Amino acid sequence: MSTESENIEELVNRRYAHGFVTDIASEGLPPGLNEDVVRAISALKEEPEFMLEWRLRAYRQWLEMVEPEWAHVHYPRIDYNSISYYSAPKSDKDRPKSLDEVDPKLLETYDKLGIPLHERARLAGVAVDAVFDSVSVATTFKKKLSEAGVIFCSFSEAVKNHPELVRKYLGTVVPQRDNFFAALNSAVFSDGSFVYIPKGVRCPMELSTYFRINAANTGQFERTLIVADEGSHVSYLEGCTAPMRDENQLHAAVVELVALKDAEIKYSTVQNWYPGDENGVGGIYNFVTKRGDCRGANSKISWTQVETGSAITWKYPSCILRGNNSVGEFYSVAVANNYQQADTGTKMIHIGRNTRSTIVSKGISAGHAQNAYRGLVRVMPQAQGARNHTQCDSLLIGKECGAHTFPYMEIKNPSARIEHEATTSKISADQLFYCRQRGISEEDAVNMIVNGFCKEVFNELPMEFAVEAQALLNVSLEGAVG
Amino acid sequence: MLDIKDLQARIGETEILRGLTLNVKAGEVHAIMGPNGSGKSTLAQVVAGHEDYEVTGGSVQFKGKDLLELAPEERAREGIFLGFQYPVEIPGVNNAYLLKAAVNAKRQHQGLDEIDAFEFLKLAREKMALLEMDPKFLNRGVNEGFSGGEKKRNEILQMAMLEPDLAILDETDSGLDIDALKAVANGVNALRSPDRAIILVTHYQRLLDYIEPDFVHVLSAGRIIRSGDKSLALELEKKGYEWVREAANA
Amino acid sequence: MSEPAFNHEALLQAVRDLPVDSLTASRRDAANLFVARGFPTVRDEDWKYTDLSNVIEISQQSLQVASAPAAIDEDLLRQTQANLDAHWIVIANGKVLEQHSPGTNIPGVQSGSLQKTDLAIDEPLADLNLALLRDGLKLDICAEFAPDKPLGLLFIDTVENAVASTHARVNISLERNANARIVEAHVSSGPAQHYSNCVLHLDLAEGAVCEYLRLQDRATNHSQTARLNVSLKRDSSLHHGSFDLGGRLTRNDLNVAIQGRNATARFNGLYIVADGQHVDNHTKVDHLVGPAISQQEYRGVLSGHCRAVWNGKAIVHKGADGTDATQANHNLLLSDAAEIDAKPELEIDADDVKCAHGTTVGQLDERALFYLRARGISKPDAKRILTRAFAATIVNTSPISEAHEFLGGQVEERLRTIDDGRQS
Repeated sequence: MSTESENIEELVNRRYAHGFVTDIASEGLPPGLNEDVVRAISALKEEPEFMLEWRLRAYRQWLEMVEPEWAHVHYPRIDYNSISYYSAPKSDKDRPKSLDEVDPKLLETYDKLGIPLHERARLAGVAVDAVFDSVSVATTFKKKLSEAGVIFCSFSEAVKNHPELVRKYLGTVVPQRDNFFAALNSAVFSDGSFVYIPKGVRCPMELSTYFRINAANTGQFERTLIVADEGSHVSYLEGCTAPMRDENQLHAAVVELVALKDAEIKYSTVQNWYPGDENGVGGIYNFVTKRGDCRGANSKISWTQVETGSAITWKYPSCILRGNNSVGEFYSVAVANNYQQADTGTKMIHIGRNTRSTIVSKGISAGHAQNAYRGLVRVMPQAQGARNHTQCDSLLIGKECGAHTFPYMEIKNPSARIEHEATTSKISADQLFYCRQRGISEEDAVNMIVNGFCKEVFNELPMEFAVEAQALLNVSLEGAVG
Repeated sequence: MLDIKDLQARIGETEILRGLTLNVKAGEVHAIMGPNGSGKSTLAQVVAGHEDYEVTGGSVQFKGKDLLELAPEERAREGIFLGFQYPVEIPGVNNAYLLKAAVNAKRQHQGLDEIDAFEFLKLAREKMALLEMDPKFLNRGVNEGFSGGEKKRNEILQMAMLEPDLAILDETDSGLDIDALKAVANGVNALRSPDRAIILVTHYQRLLDYIEPDFVHVLSAGRIIRSGDKSLALELEKKGYEWVREAANA
Repeated sequence: MSEPAFNHEALLQAVRDLPVDSLTASRRDAANLFVARGFPTVRDEDWKYTDLSNVIEISQQSLQVASAPAAIDEDLLRQTQANLDAHWIVIANGKVLEQHSPGTNIPGVQSGSLQKTDLAIDEPLADLNLALLRDGLKLDICAEFAPDKPLGLLFIDTVENAVASTHARVNISLERNANARIVEAHVSSGPAQHYSNCVLHLDLAEGAVCEYLRLQDRATNHSQTARLNVSLKRDSSLHHGSFDLGGRLTRNDLNVAIQGRNATARFNGLYIVADGQHVDNHTKVDHLVGPAISQQEYRGVLSGHCRAVWNGKAIVHKGADGTDATQANHNLLLSDAAEIDAKPELEIDADDVKCAHGTTVGQLDERALFYLRARGISKPDAKRILTRAFAATIVNTSPISEAHEFLGGQVEERLRTIDDGRQS
């Protein structure tokens, strides 16, 4: 109980706390996209031939695809030729070997973001692979991880050092042609994280990556691949902040998870990209493809997300439950305030026997925001004994916002048991008065009620993330009531 | 402690309080009785500061301060507690959390340090034992899925924890069986002290068998039409509200 | 995915060939609108799970075969009328049969022809319906209307050896404070394929109350799309019950627009879907103002190689405070080849609302099965009992109470066919 709204006092600052621009000159490609750009990215990263071919195939497929329009979101057309597809910090050429060698200005940036890298890493026992713009600059705890046989590195390093693993798994969960944004990412992704947990290994610490978008007009195309070999276990944390900026920025990441027999992957996200100002100017377009493949029997993939940022979020972390007895989970809190638009949810595809999935989605809408849950539960004919439970709740704050629920259930096996429940509620005047009569301020009361509403999801987050998530939620909703 | 003079209030276009005057001193227990619609609950809500009610005239002083100037949470921190007739459910917010936040809001207002978790739990358990409440209640959502009796006990628990100077209990007896009524009455009686005033808003005399009031007031059409000691309540029970109304009109 | 080609020129020609009357201009406009959009396809979100290929083929062929309509199946007509007691209005093969329609002549009901203004519905199949409409009916029900039995609309289609399609349209208005009970039945017979496209409009003025029962029991080689658009004014109340027992492909669209405060819309539905059948129920409630209540519960029993679709949508528009909207959909899957696609949607743009939906897909409750077996009932019997109990919930809460016994019998008959099919 003590984690709830502990830091509220600190969070009275109503502006986006992480908005500033680091004065680091960027070295990058000029705006525009064509085959030469794809080749240039691959060359800059000194990639082997197979990667270049893979990228080019994706690019050619992307050219033939159309941008999706079905989501409950609206935004001006993106000019893909006005985006620069590669940027890197100046110090890229001689990459620091340890934190001491890292550009102090960069460390300062992380400090402002509230990520005291070394301290946090040491204190919390977390290895941090911090991505500044597009290139990894620091990786800690590598030694401890390598003793366990765990590979945790930037994607570029993985391509160089573990090409056989990359080749074996890349694109096997999210194929290049999967969707418009995944194809774009496949063609131009700059970097990201790679994790491999060997057979039977329980990863000795939680793995964490912080992302940042920095240089103007830089699309951020992260690519993450996590492979949990048989009987292994890993918990991965992803958190994002972005600096304040007026132009809209595109973020189209791809995350692929592979869980082999008896393996478990827990993937937690706190997403706090810049949402735009209170008039809806600026903010990140966050078009993400996240998918996990429970490839082996008894495997488990669990997604937990707290989405408070971005002007537009389009994101459906999904599970393909291929292995018998495999388990998929999706726990989500999505907050949309001011003019934010969120269209998020999940897909649970039941293929194996006795597969189980759980979906808990909590959507909060305030201001003029639009918040939609879109989910699919599909039970294939061979998925004997499939189970799903979905709980989908919306909380509305104010009269100008919208909350929408679009669940799809496609059930082709008679032994399936599928339950879907959805409710909509608002913070009632009675609840606020009750709290105030007990001496609690209106703002604290709102935070308390909202945190109560989200509790089931916060309970799924690792402790320090849960605190951060609650704080973010409170900041995101400041000024929403009253 | 509480000085209400010629208070007039309405909700929307409907006048409810039409010149109510009441003086409550520390150590006193007042019972406000009256038929449905006479304005009993409105009085409780107005004193607590519910914003649906518009005060159109009169004054309310609490410990020498103009109460009508204060926000609901400020009145609470000053020491006014309202036991709600219909306590609201707040799903997902656990009882202990709300209670601790409320206690600390008040302590902060008084310039005290926050209560430490151990001390808080000890205190809460003590009070719960008095009210014959299962300690599990602390970990449940505020009033979520509580029975009528459980909600009322929970109100008294909050009162016991917050130790208000003035407690207004709005129809605390409604919907209680005899055991719950006794437990609630024990809780209230335990809180009686020379420094504290209590206002019982009730429709029936039954509650007053267990909590003996010093004064009984009869409210009708937004005014106190008769005041007396506890024998007035017994007389009312026998003769009904019509009797006072006729007597007042005569 | 490729739909069979539909010859738009043949449609325009067929529309031109219809006798000239007061609807001619509307028909031609509608035909042009339809040609511009064509039939809906599975790429349209609203038709994602229902493929109209067969309907398109029937429509195409019936335009080409210019044979006279078949004689009406008198036995089926008599039998249906005997089963459900009502003041009937019979629409046979798309034309009102005056001699069988005493319902147009009872006190409190004014019948007439459709006017141009009654016709606008922005939807392709409604355009097609209007383009090929031979006879429309308009019924105004006055406050004095107080008959001993419900008003009945019987849509009966008969085919012989030629493929045919019929398009029928009825607009019903209930005056202020009128009270009406209406039964709408769809039956058909004949060896050739048939497609029926019905469009109905029901208007409830202030304070009007309507109980409305819809029963579809077409031959299993015949298909139907049916739309009922309802508008509810202040203090009006609709209780709608929907039963789909027959038909090859059935698609129902029930759209309710709540336009007045304190209106209530309650609708229940049951679909029993057996081998070779496809039943798609789409409901949409637009809460334009509040406070108002909408409640819906649909249940389905699926067996054999079949597919059912349920798409319930509640839209709470900006300012519709005090809306209370609930949706429930429960499905029993009894065979390996049955498929259910369920989509309960909420779109909410007001904050002072209470909305909830619940959907389940599954089998009979194992505990209840065990309980019955522990009382000495065989497993197959226990299953039969529980399946009937599952369906009976809808029968017992449907409008027009005097029809419950007949409905119960029809449901029982369908379930027995399903039982037999499972045992063989």
